[in-house]
Amino acid sequence: MTREARLAAALGGSAAPARDRAFALRVIEAMEQKRYPGETLRAMLRAGGIAAAAGSLAYPLLAWAGTNAEAFQNGIWGAAALIGLVGLARLMSARATVLLRR
Amino acid sequence: MTPDDEARLIAAARKGDSRAYAALVDAHQQAVRGFLRRFTGHWADADDIAQEAFVTAWTKLARFEGRSSFRSWVSGIGFRIARDARRSHGRSAVRDADWLAEQDEADASAPIEDRIALTRAMADLPDEQRAAVALCLGEGFSHSEAAAILKQPLGTVKSHVTRGRERLLRALEVSDDA
Repeated sequence: MTREARLAAALGGSAAPARDRAFALRVIEAMEQKRYPGETLRAMLRAGGIAAAAGSLAYPLLAWAGTNAEAFQNGIWGAAALIGLVGLARLMSARATVLLRR
Repeated sequence: MTPDDEARLIAAARKGDSRAYAALVDAHQQAVRGFLRRFTGHWADADDIAQEAFVTAWTKLARFEGRSSFRSWVSGIGFRIARDARRSHGRSAVRDADWLAEQDEADASAPIEDRIALTRAMADLPDEQRAAVALCLGEGFSHSEAAAILKQPLGTVKSHVTRGRERLLRALEVSDDA
């Protein structure tokens, strides 16, 4: 056997197994550990921000509603009508998309 | 895995699909770990580095432009982690030969003496040369892929492979004389 053939034989094949599900699983576990702490922190900051904004808006709104009850009621009806209109538009657009795909 | 399959899995993984990424890891772990095992000479360390390389690749997936294959990209990340770890720890070139012992003797086509001689000779090669040999002669990467992984000119990589190969052949000759 020549040295070339011996070198090829000694180097032949990979130094790692072809299939190793356990390795892939370890990678995914490490990945999830790295991903979720960041996402949890971001979600907490987002929720905190929204709560702070809502709180800062709610106080002056309630104070104003106490002295302007009629305008407040009109505002509620207006907002409800707007939400209904947006909901209807979304529903119609979803139906139109389904019909166009056919 | 076809390039189309790989592109589809990468696109899904970018959207956060960890099952798609697991399929990518499963498909390429052999090449990446094989290269790092031969490069570091330490089986357990190499697998830890490979794991870190795949996790780093996941975090940087949005930046992957597809100019090289996914396995080349991850191998490059692993190479830099391994090289930086060696530098920062001042690690000696002493190798372990655990992986030789764990290989199935029946499957091994080369005598154990040759494989031990080769492992020792690999340890004595300079880092860049050992990496080029491990990629091209060990794991079957092309010279162009190795050049992209090591971020070196193609001619330099070819020269590393030729010189490294000569040194390994010499090591086999010396083991015969011993």
